[in-house]
Amino acid sequence: MSRTKLYTAIYVVLFVLATAQAVVEQAGYLEESYWLAFWAIMVLSAVKAVVVAGWYQHLRWEPRSLTTLMLLGLLGAVALTVAASYSIL
Amino acid sequence: MHGGLLLQVAGQLEPDGNRAELFGTIFEVFLVLGTAVGVVVIGYMLYNAYRYRDDGTAPAEETEDIGRPTLGELPEGGGHGRKLLLSFTLSAIIVISLILWTYWALLYVEAGAAQPAEPEMEDGTTVDVTGYQFGWQFEYPNGNTTDGTMYVPEGERVRIVVTSSDVMHNFGIPAFKTKTDAIPGQTTSTWFGPVEDGEYTIKCYELCGAGHSYMTGTVEVIDAEEYERMFVEPMNSTNASDGGTERVDPATAAGGSSAPSVGLPADGGVATRLPARTAATEGVLRA
Amino acid sequence: MTDDEHETTADPTGDEPAVSDGGTASDGGSIVDDDFPADGVPDTPHGDDHGLPPTHSIRRWFVTTNHKDIGLLYTVTALFFLIFGGLLALLMRLELWAPGADFLAAGSYNQAVSAHGLIMVFWFLSPLAFGFANYVVPLQIGAKDLAFPRLNALSYWLYLFSGILMGISFFQGSTFNGGWTMYAPLNMPVYTPDIGGTTTVLALILFVASATVGSVNFLTTMHRMRAEGMTLRRMPIFTWSILLTVWMMLFAFAALLAALMLLSSDRLIGTAYFAESSPGGAMLWAHLFWFFGHPEVYIVFFPALGAMAEIFQTFTGRRLVGRKWFIGAMLLVAIQSFVVWMHHMFLTSINLEIKTLFMATTIGISLPFDLMVFSLIYTMLKGKIRFKTPFLFGFGALVLFILGGITGVFLGAVVLDYTLRGTYWVVAHFHYVMVGGVTGLVGGLYYWFPKMTGRMYDETLGKVHFGMYFVGFNLLYFPMFLAWETPRRVFEYAPALTGWHQLSTVGAFLLGSSFLVMFYNLFKSAFVGEQVEGQPWDFASTAEWTVPSPPPLENFPGVPTYASGRLEFEDGGSAQTDGGAVHGKAAALPGSEVTETEHGGGESHASIWPFVLGAGAFLVLLGLSGLQRGYFPEGTMGGVHIGTAIVGGVLAFGSLVAMTREKFHGPEGPFGESWPFTTVENTKLGLWIFLASDVILFGAFIGAYVFSRVAHGWTDWHHLIPEAHVVLPGLINTYLLLTSSFAVVIAMEFAKRENRLGVVGSLVATVGLGVGFLINKGIEWQHLFHIHTEAFPAGWDPGTNIASTTFYVTTGLHALHVIVGLVIAGYMIFRAWGGAYMGDDEPIEYFGLYWHFVDIVWLFLFPLFYIV
Repeated sequence: MSRTKLYTAIYVVLFVLATAQAVVEQAGYLEESYWLAFWAIMVLSAVKAVVVAGWYQHLRWEPRSLTTLMLLGLLGAVALTVAASYSIL
Repeated sequence: MHGGLLLQVAGQLEPDGNRAELFGTIFEVFLVLGTAVGVVVIGYMLYNAYRYRDDGTAPAEETEDIGRPTLGELPEGGGHGRKLLLSFTLSAIIVISLILWTYWALLYVEAGAAQPAEPEMEDGTTVDVTGYQFGWQFEYPNGNTTDGTMYVPEGERVRIVVTSSDVMHNFGIPAFKTKTDAIPGQTTSTWFGPVEDGEYTIKCYELCGAGHSYMTGTVEVIDAEEYERMFVEPMNSTNASDGGTERVDPATAAGGSSAPSVGLPADGGVATRLPARTAATEGVLRA
Repeated sequence: MTDDEHETTADPTGDEPAVSDGGTASDGGSIVDDDFPADGVPDTPHGDDHGLPPTHSIRRWFVTTNHKDIGLLYTVTALFFLIFGGLLALLMRLELWAPGADFLAAGSYNQAVSAHGLIMVFWFLSPLAFGFANYVVPLQIGAKDLAFPRLNALSYWLYLFSGILMGISFFQGSTFNGGWTMYAPLNMPVYTPDIGGTTTVLALILFVASATVGSVNFLTTMHRMRAEGMTLRRMPIFTWSILLTVWMMLFAFAALLAALMLLSSDRLIGTAYFAESSPGGAMLWAHLFWFFGHPEVYIVFFPALGAMAEIFQTFTGRRLVGRKWFIGAMLLVAIQSFVVWMHHMFLTSINLEIKTLFMATTIGISLPFDLMVFSLIYTMLKGKIRFKTPFLFGFGALVLFILGGITGVFLGAVVLDYTLRGTYWVVAHFHYVMVGGVTGLVGGLYYWFPKMTGRMYDETLGKVHFGMYFVGFNLLYFPMFLAWETPRRVFEYAPALTGWHQLSTVGAFLLGSSFLVMFYNLFKSAFVGEQVEGQPWDFASTAEWTVPSPPPLENFPGVPTYASGRLEFEDGGSAQTDGGAVHGKAAALPGSEVTETEHGGGESHASIWPFVLGAGAFLVLLGLSGLQRGYFPEGTMGGVHIGTAIVGGVLAFGSLVAMTREKFHGPEGPFGESWPFTTVENTKLGLWIFLASDVILFGAFIGAYVFSRVAHGWTDWHHLIPEAHVVLPGLINTYLLLTSSFAVVIAMEFAKRENRLGVVGSLVATVGLGVGFLINKGIEWQHLFHIHTEAFPAGWDPGTNIASTTFYVTTGLHALHVIVGLVIAGYMIFRAWGGAYMGDDEPIEYFGLYWHFVDIVWLFLFPLFYIV
């Protein structure tokens, strides 16, 4: 039963974080200081992703090798995006 | 050891001019070293393949105790580890120093391609090139344009800024060893020269459609003063292009004739213009 | 998907073991027996191969899921595509006999150039390597089959059908004619309008699907199903090369899939990713393509390297020098291969800093190859070198590769690359490397031919083949270095170079005809060649040589183990009955008294559904190829296209359902070694590996968005988006998806507590929320399609501008993932209603892994497309 409670708590946190992202936009922070607000929003997304992967997908309780596998994929995608975008700056 | 020697050569190569000569020197060094390495390595391979050929002696009669692989064993490595690492280190030194050496030349080439801080500081001239299916259009400092034939001043360096109005092309002049991509929505720049009097061929080096093989152009080197008058001084009635006499039709281009060569720009109205393309390319070139 | 495989593993069929009588004679006893049938097991009279028909029955080849059969199918099919691609190359060489278009029309020449590259790289090279990998890798690691045998068959059928689709494209106006690199925007329908061009792109998508399924399967197998004692470090070198190859494939092909899907969207729906109006379009394609394309070079080359290393060890009678360094070098290359792609783009508009960085990584990646080359050379020292055909090809491959490597250093120097790019220098260089790789693989073909057929090829003809091949090869490609000033992909070249090109053409025909010798030799020998025992080569050491040729269906006479440091079969006696007699072939094999044990039985080997699924997917894509700008052509042709797609869809869906209902029992690990995934069950691992490739797929889609936005000017982007595009629909959808994820987690909890209604209820909630997500998205899209504002008078549809393109296509791909998830969830509701999953929450967990992943993706799409 405690598992269910934990999952519910996580759900509430996710809900709140998503709302927070929209609030950042609605409050006009993007106009005020674009890049600060941008990174705040992206970090919120990253936190949500980590929580979903860690708890809902149980990566926390799996061997680290699975986490490494997913991080490798992520690393590849980020390398492509960052290096390609940088190349035309 | 090797590196030091090459840095010395690099010093001698302190580049001061022509890209074609630069390419020639580096290419030659690579060719000589590459051939030497190839001959040594492959020779060594052949020698050993012959020396250690199976001459029919059974393993039991082998004088040394040489471990041969046996069926069903877990794989493991053979000896000669030190030899391996030594040869590897040697080859790494050769490759790294060779490439680092050429990096000097790369910086030199890139500096020439870069936009000069102030237009007046530029030595030579800048021509904007736009590739299209299947030809080249050139725009000069005073806004004059030509199609198919590129006019450049004798004895000067020419910087080119290249783009495309349709698909990707690659603008290359083999005689000057210069080449750069023509990409729609992007510009690239490079340079060549100083060049001697004469006519040279432009080729497209990126597959761009059915007419790719025929997508050629001409570089015509003209007297520097003539160039100044025609293509640099503000346009007036004597040097303005006459607006839309000819354009290269891809169909005829594919039929075998290369882009039409315009006559010497003596009478003023020689430069041909591409009315249909101008609107599309103007923005890109001017941006 | 991998989920399906799981469903059915629980319940093995009745027709399992029962192999203990007739079948065993062919396993153990036949080794010393002269009349050992060439076809191996199936020809024996017992007739019970788990529902698998004998090899002479056509039906067998449509239903087989056995890795050795699939390996043969891959090998034969790949050789067919060698002929296809080779004939195109001969057409090109004929055209190049003299300058000018005197033999082929300009358009036809471009078709030949493009199709030759695509077919050789995709449909010949990798599949040939995978023929060997399929056949040999399970034997080398001590597995009875791959982890998901039906997915393995599916890989093959998708591969074959993708090749057929590629062939069909020639008859749809014109196949793709913009070069194998398919540079944008020439790949847009404005410039390559023929339907055949679209079909080529779709054929590639099908091929990538095949490669991805194959990668997942091989990775699961190789990580989870190794015999005891067969740790990763101890794996044979060929297996190592395949392991690294499939890792690279998993990630690289996902990037290619992204590129191809974006291109299909442009070609089918009329979006604007690669249009010349998109400021970064041409560069975007180049980045995506080469991010895949450079690892692809090693994907193609590594298996050849692995085969060469095995051949060198066997025919020199020496162990590989610096084996661990060799493996380390390959590992380094595999990782680095993902950070060198821009060296294909030195002449584009990328900046000097990034050029310098990629020059450095390029030097970095060339060095490990030096080590590998030296390692192979030193392996010959103190050897007993026998110049059999496999060794000749292996040795020749090394010579060619060295030449290819040296000429590649020229291109690594950026300043030389500036001049050599786009010329025959590049053509010659990569043919020395790639066809050098082919040379190694041909060596592998001769090397494993006796294992695959049970018969020996004709050695004299093999040597004749090598002679013609090697001379032909160098006559074909070396003059290209001398004629390097010829631009690539032209037929009009400087007349002074005619001599070199004619020499080259002569070489091409010599090279081509050398393969006639090979085909004759191998075809004839497969039927009447001298029969061989388990191990025809002295000093071969890997496990495939310890079993009969060809090996029996279940591979080993017992459970293979290396616990003692040597291969032994538990319940089946030692593999090495006499340690000293390395020359005795039969001595190294299990004794004839060996009987099949229960370990050998139980696996299923036959299923028709992979074939049907492949055919269905083929028809869907063939039908879709007619789509342009979102519309099918008018009239009958349109009807035919739509009908084909529908029939294909029904077939594909039906076969998926049938696969999940079918009782099929594949081998399950672990059998000993399964680091680093010891506690992760096969299906779960397969699913995670698939998700890792999906990360790259979505990553590349998001990367395409970021790149296009950077090219346009990041903060200027808002001008491309209508005011009506607001945060709220995205936020609502975020809530919906998060809640649905929560519902799946709750479903799992209910399953643990065996609460049937609870499971059904929470799954229904999941589906309901997912459907709500789609409806909300549908309403939003409808609204945006039909807005009328000053900036967007004709609405904001997928083709309006690059912002609308990235928005609709990226969130559209996500929506497709949602739909797939809903279909699976719907099926699971049906099962749960019938009482499944009680106390067995694994299937729900696996579905959850996928569903949460889709959720996570949305967590990033939401801010990127709705907020910032």
